[in-house]
Amino acid sequence: MSLLHSHILSILIFLPLGFAGVIVFSPSVQISRWLALVGSLVNFALGLWLWSAFNGSSHGLQFVEAYEWLKQFGIRYIVGVDGLSLLLVVLTVFLTPLVVISQWHIADSRQKMFFFLLMSLECGMLGALLAFDMVFFYVFWEAMLIPMYFLIGVWGGSRRIYAATKFIIYTVVGSLLMLIAAIGLYYLHYKQFGSFSTSLLDLYRIKVPLGAQTWLFLAFGVAFAIKVPMWPFHTWLPDAHVEAPTAGSVILAGVLLKMGTYGILRFAIPLFPEATVTFAPMIATLGVIGIIYGALTAWMQADAKKMVAYSSVSHLGFVVIGSVAIMGDLSLNKEALTGAVYQMINHGISTGALFFLVGVIYERRHTRQLADFGGLATVMPWYSLLLIIATLGSVGLPGTGGFVGEFYILLGTFQANPTVAITASLGVLLGAIYMLALCKAVLFGPCTNPKNQELKDINLREAAYLTPFAVLIIVMGIFPNAFLSKSRMSIEYLADNYHHYQLPVDRMGQQATSALPVKAAEVSFVIGDAR
Amino acid sequence: MKFDMPLLGLDFYLASSPILIVIVGSLLVMLQSVFKPIASPRAVYFSTFSVIILALASCFIAQQNPGRFLEGAFISESLGSWGLLLILSIGAILVAMIRHSNWDKSFFRGEISSLFLMILIGMMVVVTSDDLVTLFVGIEMSSIGIYAVLGYMVPTRKSQEGALKYFVLGSFAAAFLLFGFGLLYGATGTTKLVAILPYLARLRDNSWIQIGALFSMVGLGFKFALAPFHLWAPDAYEGAPTPITAFMATTVKVVVLIFTLRLFTHAAAAGLYQVWTGGMLFMAILSMLFGNILALVQTSLKRMMAYSSIAHSGYMAVALAAIASKGVALPVAAVLFYVLAYSLVSLGAFGIFMWLEREENDSLQLDDLAGLAKKHPWAAVGLTVFMFSFSGMPPTVGFISKFFVFSAAVQADLIGLVIIGAIGSSISLYYYLRIVVRMFMDDPLPNRVIGGKSISWPISTFATIAVLLTVLMGTVLSAPVFDFVRWGSQHLVVR
Repeated sequence: MSLLHSHILSILIFLPLGFAGVIVFSPSVQISRWLALVGSLVNFALGLWLWSAFNGSSHGLQFVEAYEWLKQFGIRYIVGVDGLSLLLVVLTVFLTPLVVISQWHIADSRQKMFFFLLMSLECGMLGALLAFDMVFFYVFWEAMLIPMYFLIGVWGGSRRIYAATKFIIYTVVGSLLMLIAAIGLYYLHYKQFGSFSTSLLDLYRIKVPLGAQTWLFLAFGVAFAIKVPMWPFHTWLPDAHVEAPTAGSVILAGVLLKMGTYGILRFAIPLFPEATVTFAPMIATLGVIGIIYGALTAWMQADAKKMVAYSSVSHLGFVVIGSVAIMGDLSLNKEALTGAVYQMINHGISTGALFFLVGVIYERRHTRQLADFGGLATVMPWYSLLLIIATLGSVGLPGTGGFVGEFYILLGTFQANPTVAITASLGVLLGAIYMLALCKAVLFGPCTNPKNQELKDINLREAAYLTPFAVLIIVMGIFPNAFLSKSRMSIEYLADNYHHYQLPVDRMGQQATSALPVKAAEVSFVIGDAR
Repeated sequence: MKFDMPLLGLDFYLASSPILIVIVGSLLVMLQSVFKPIASPRAVYFSTFSVIILALASCFIAQQNPGRFLEGAFISESLGSWGLLLILSIGAILVAMIRHSNWDKSFFRGEISSLFLMILIGMMVVVTSDDLVTLFVGIEMSSIGIYAVLGYMVPTRKSQEGALKYFVLGSFAAAFLLFGFGLLYGATGTTKLVAILPYLARLRDNSWIQIGALFSMVGLGFKFALAPFHLWAPDAYEGAPTPITAFMATTVKVVVLIFTLRLFTHAAAAGLYQVWTGGMLFMAILSMLFGNILALVQTSLKRMMAYSSIAHSGYMAVALAAIASKGVALPVAAVLFYVLAYSLVSLGAFGIFMWLEREENDSLQLDDLAGLAKKHPWAAVGLTVFMFSFSGMPPTVGFISKFFVFSAAVQADLIGLVIIGAIGSSISLYYYLRIVVRMFMDDPLPNRVIGGKSISWPISTFATIAVLLTVLMGTVLSAPVFDFVRWGSQHLVVR
């Protein structure tokens, strides 16, 4: 198993891409879907192996691979995984096969392209989560936009082109700001250490001057805030979600939005600690506005998918405030941070499930208006059960994962900033109101519409991709430690040490021969001037 | 002044063999058209293509014989070889693509093919010369050839309008350039670049030198299609037959860029031309903004590409502006990498356009691309990759070349320029995406047929290679390609 030990992350990233390439040239749609399923399941298995092999007692970077790429610029291919990204990686490889199953039956000549895009998207998402080199991170970060753009633009609803273009333009504006800031950091590294490096491990060592920190933090911050999305950068999200096909929405809500919050934890906070302290109140305020605004807007929606989309704005507000709960001694609050990491996963699971469930009735009735439904509990009992579980998970009822996440976040935030916590808890209340309103409108009351009376309950295939969500929502509520134990060290390390953040490379899980030593400042800019 | 006719040895003939081959070849092709039996397009194609391939092969001989000849009027060193390789490769690819396209009959006439070879001669002279006079002669030789081919190859109102506009404005540019050179000569007493440089160090505040540099920059700005001297580009690009547009968009940029680097690198690095950084900044900012914003509203594809090429000239000017005392190596390598990547992607995109156009004076509109993905999926995929590369999205070469350029600018503390470049890139994404949207997300227009009758193998082969290279050079191949670029720029940097 030494190959697995030494190259697991590269395999995880590029296996889907390999399958994507094969899918393009596969002779028929049937074969392409099997290829997609097999590829995503193998990747899921690899993800589970990674999770089990990951050493939870270290905050260091594990399973590191590092190769020179552009020596003159200090750009290296570095991948690694730590407690912050581990759960998101597992979430990504978990969602992809389910999305494949959900798209199984669509008899469409373009299905091959769909699976191709989906697999390349998986490659982009895993790459962005695992890359520890600024340039590679940026490459993957942007590369995952392109498949999502096509998923929305080709398979979307009536306003799909508008939504797809808005989605990509918003994100790219943010990314370009990030690119400028990244080049700035790169140059700071050159100034301070005399060598070029884009390795994140090297960039962490930079002491960024206070003035520069503000600007760099804002540039990174806006890029991530657009992705999260934080109020007031959220306006692309409802359009993208409503127009996207179900599969696109699930991936978008499940993983792509997490890239924003992950970016805050991975980049913005440890790279610019002082600026984080300065801007934390502002970010928390925007987070709270997002929570309340998202909840109120969701409450007013007549379209079920739009409701779920706005609920994302609200739920991710919790993650944001949990990420920046700064205590009196300038450390981050550990409970809040733990909650934020956990809530990312919860949101991915429960919102992914909700989008799937909305998709199920949309496929049957071709409408998502709440007014068109009602009383489905009598005709679709299994569907109703799943919808209730997903709703409760989203609301954060005790016994579901959502409760653990939100409780940790509010508990921690209260210690750091009671006002924020109290206002945010209003969002929990509002969340319960609109999500239960959704449930009520769809499931309960008399089933008067004759079209609804003829609806069939979920079939085996739908059950196959919906049940894992329901199970996970409950398991994550009852055994949070099973999920959090591997991340604990990383979270605590970030909370205490983000002012002088260093990620050691941990070789406990692998053979040392697999990678070049990750040493800073060993690469110099060899085309220096001979003038 | 004593005038010695220098003795030219075998090494001169070896070193200049690519140029000599094309000179002889252009005359032979001209003669060939006189004899009816061998004047068919097929025969002319055969001889034109062989001449270019021969010249390309002889580049490797030339490269073995470095040196300065004719007192610097012809030099053989790495930048020259680099430029020759690039220009001749583009020429060869273009000629092969034209052969199996609608322009076959109009291009492979003796006079047009011969003119094309003469344009190549002019360009080859520019990239291998270190003397103001030869540089000027070379650039005019290629420009005049382009004016003629542009208006004469497929004579339509549009192409003649484009040719005339290009000619009038280009002549102005030539006058500016010549005037600038005259001032530089007046201030230093020599036309040899290698001899001018020591003077520059002593005369750094001499206003004649400053004005001479300014005028030269204006002239080069015209040729490079930098705003505010870009006005000829949209009409010329749109009016020209598509293969000639492709030729203009690629080789002209390469040539003018090498010209600019030869003329300005060292002086700019020594901080001698105060006008340099300011002027380049000004032109870079205007080009990135004008080019990208005006491209937004275009409906004709070639016009859109013209504005996009103005914007790309702007990005290259960013790197040129970054040539300053802080460092020469990175900006020079970055800009050469950029022009290489840009030429590759442009040639691929224009190749597909050439195939999509049904007739030789057809002008593709944006709407014509509607639903292309349904009819010709591979053409649509290829164009998509090229468009994403133009807009600088990873994992394409467009991203990595912008990264190099912006890194060079940050190194020179030109953060504002980088921000404007980033804004320009995000604007540009919108119009490049319009093409993608039309191809993948719209239904085909009922009354419009695009795409050649059968797949032209040179175009499809090259487009496939270009797509692969676009992605590979943005990922695994960027290091070797960067080494190739550094090899090209080594003399410039070290001298």
